[in-house]
Amino acid sequence: MDYPETSGIATSGEYLTFTLGAEEYAIDILKVQEIRGYDAVTKIANAPPFIKGVINLRGVIVPLVDLRIKFNLGNFTYDEFTVVIILNIGKRVMGVVVDGVSDVIQLSSDNLHAAPEFGSILDTRYILGLGTVEERMIIVVDIERLMTSQEMSLVESAGQPLAVAT
Amino acid sequence: MSIDMSQFYQVFFEETSEHLANMENLLLSLDVDDPSLEDLNAVFRAAHSIKGGSGTFGFTDMTSVTHVLESLLDRLRKEELALRADMVDAFLAAGDVLRAQLEHHQGGPEADADEIETVCARLNQLAAGESAAATPAPVAAASAPTATPARKIRLECTLPPNIAGVAEVIDNLLDALRDIAAVDVKQRPNPADTRLILVLTTQAGDSELKDSLAFYSAPEGISIQPEAEEEAYGFFDDLPSEAASPTVDDSYGFFVDLPNEPVSAAEEDDGFGLFDDAPGVPIEPAQQAFVLPGDSPAAIEGPGYGIYVDAPGGLGLFDGAPGAEHVLGIGAPGLFSGKAKSEAEATETPGEPVSVGRRLIDNPSIETAKAGRRDSDKAVTATNTDTSIRVAVEKVDQLINLVGELVITQAMLAEAANNLDPVLAEKLLAGIDLLSRNTRDMQESVMSIRMLPMSMVFSRFPRVVRDLAGKLNKQVEIKTIGDNTELDKGLIEKITDPMTHLVRNSLDHGIETPEKRIAAGKNPKGTLTLKASHQGGSVVIEVIDDGGGLNRARILEKAKEKGLPVSDNMADFDVWQLIFAPGFSTADVVTDVSGRGVGMDVVKRNIEGLGGRVELESSPGFGTRTVIRLPLTLAILDGMSVGVGGETFIVPITTVIESLQPKMDDIRTMAGDSRMVHVRGEYLPLISLAEAFGLDGFDDITKGLLVVVEAEEGKAALFVDELLGQQQVVIKSLEANYRKVPGISGATIMGDGRVAMIVDVSAVTRMGLSNIKRRQAA
Repeated sequence: MDYPETSGIATSGEYLTFTLGAEEYAIDILKVQEIRGYDAVTKIANAPPFIKGVINLRGVIVPLVDLRIKFNLGNFTYDEFTVVIILNIGKRVMGVVVDGVSDVIQLSSDNLHAAPEFGSILDTRYILGLGTVEERMIIVVDIERLMTSQEMSLVESAGQPLAVAT
Repeated sequence: MSIDMSQFYQVFFEETSEHLANMENLLLSLDVDDPSLEDLNAVFRAAHSIKGGSGTFGFTDMTSVTHVLESLLDRLRKEELALRADMVDAFLAAGDVLRAQLEHHQGGPEADADEIETVCARLNQLAAGESAAATPAPVAAASAPTATPARKIRLECTLPPNIAGVAEVIDNLLDALRDIAAVDVKQRPNPADTRLILVLTTQAGDSELKDSLAFYSAPEGISIQPEAEEEAYGFFDDLPSEAASPTVDDSYGFFVDLPNEPVSAAEEDDGFGLFDDAPGVPIEPAQQAFVLPGDSPAAIEGPGYGIYVDAPGGLGLFDGAPGAEHVLGIGAPGLFSGKAKSEAEATETPGEPVSVGRRLIDNPSIETAKAGRRDSDKAVTATNTDTSIRVAVEKVDQLINLVGELVITQAMLAEAANNLDPVLAEKLLAGIDLLSRNTRDMQESVMSIRMLPMSMVFSRFPRVVRDLAGKLNKQVEIKTIGDNTELDKGLIEKITDPMTHLVRNSLDHGIETPEKRIAAGKNPKGTLTLKASHQGGSVVIEVIDDGGGLNRARILEKAKEKGLPVSDNMADFDVWQLIFAPGFSTADVVTDVSGRGVGMDVVKRNIEGLGGRVELESSPGFGTRTVIRLPLTLAILDGMSVGVGGETFIVPITTVIESLQPKMDDIRTMAGDSRMVHVRGEYLPLISLAEAFGLDGFDDITKGLLVVVEAEEGKAALFVDELLGQQQVVIKSLEANYRKVPGISGATIMGDGRVAMIVDVSAVTRMGLSNIKRRQAA
């Protein structure tokens, strides 16, 4: 089996796809704990704007990141259709706010193309590849690497202990 | 050995340290001139069970020390010797040696061999000393805990099939027996007949023999009968004392887990105790009933237990050992010890246990745990039965977390139900009411699991005081009040060090020498009082001495030397606080100022780290009182909830001094920008929480409120939009899934399910102050 050089994570398997604005993204489904609505968020003082705050997930305090703000996808609203994907990364629980969850798809590395190198907000380091399903382009994100990265400022010492955990 | 013993080591370590602590307590409370027989017996039992346990686990060094100790104790409790103060000292020293040995087995440094030697010699000397004339064979007396003359007995021991065939095991067993008896092997076990038949000549009691065999076979598999003519010789001669010894049962306690141990030995012992007192019960059938289980471990739990219930005669007593305990006890040896103790109490007063046994026998319907419990409770006299189970702290914490969730869920339900029509949803609302009461009760009881009595801390001080007073040539009596005041386990662990420090200080510098005290017209014996009590939501611990008190003039003088801001008119309270200043306490001050010095700043810091406060009161010539105030637990915080820019924040109530509505006149600016507020003659920096946390709060200061707080950095006034209330909150970590946030010490979940941040008052004050400075600099 072929692995793209960008990551050590197996790229064949089931992926959860979600939409951010007009774009469609996919993440490894094994990292997903649950999906829930956007509700009752408590702001965190002096946090970057894409960190919306924390929520109470059955007694666990979970920080939320709005990927739409992070990826600069303009125009976002918070309504009853806004979805939060709760992720289990390393030993941590965190949530990402997205516009909607669409599907669970099967992707093998054959269907994945390396993302072209050009300067975008989403660094290609965090992209496992681009997939195509029924003529739609799906951006497959290395969510673990993204969420533990320094620029997300979600963890104290970014990356090290968690990235190794895979 | 076919069974891995190491899995039981931890149990042994824990139990042994408990026994050691217990023994020390008893020794310290012993009245040397008129020792109570009960206490001596209790000390003996503790020593005995340590011996039993260490022998079983092969810690022979401990066995030998306890053995010597036990010999002397045995002579004392039989009143063959009179207790003397030097004996108590020797016992305490032996306790220390045992503790050192125990630590060694737990991976600590090796115990000092010379020390062990000295202690054993001292004990032997004490035991032999005046006794040479009294008993013909002091050596024998020393080697056997009971001074019974040697007797010949026939011992039949049914071994579990898996070890019966292993010659090596049998040899070990025989070796163990040879230590206490002359052994004549009549039959070695073979696959067809797993009985080991021996004729022993020994002074050891039956129970001691059973102890030695405990590891190889359950006690019910052991039958001991006098060999030949000595028919009337007490079959259970030694039992009253043994049954009275929870210690034996303790050590059996962990065998309950052993796959090959069919039944709880503790119960067996109770049973034997009963037979002793109930002469009519035929022994042989009982023995058979006991031997019955043991073949297949699977068959044991159910039917094995059933046998006892149905078994004739005295076995009825097992009903008295409630079924619930049986089940629980499998994981929890401690429970048995308690149970055994209660039975032991019964056997100590002959006559009563018989009636208990009889009653149970006569009334076959007593089968429920409840009934059994009630009966055994009746048998317990005044003693405080110590029934407990050991549970990992993580499990308890998990439970506490879950109950926390439950409380929040319940609050959400209640809130949702508020909108329902009370007529239509009457039943639902009633149910929710009930649920809320039950969850509250449940939360309370779950929280109480983590609570431990203050006696856990206090109990170590009699020894500290005794040793230190001896060293300093002072006479000090220690009193403890409120031993049962409960405190969170985490706090108990952390309060011990500061307390030790305070106690040592009191002894070293507070309480004067007897000569000085007599000169001052005081009782030459000083008193140190440790007191714990609940006051509102906090626990108050006091260390009180009746010594010389603090020297105000000296402290002020020293403070001036140090350049601290002091004046001669300062209130006493503020003067005493000076000694908590870091670096204030130099050795020189300590000796001259009658104490309170070295490390008082550390004491204060530790206690504040626990969310507590420490205060001093002192009057010259009458003594000093140190008052420590602690929150009940670390996991719960008393907070004032405040609203800022639509968010809720919790300010720990321990830091809040007052809250007030500011008037425009009270607000002053400094350098045109940084604001100060004039409160009761003081100018306090005004810190806006909205500004500190980047929220849109009120701009108009007169619309909001000021919360005056006191932190390490001094007082400050926090500007908030509104006060929402005061409540206890469960502290949750933000770092678990996020990271540390400046100015926030944690988070909590409010009744409506929302998260609220807990303000770190010190950090916010610091942030506010530095902001002000920055602006001034700009």
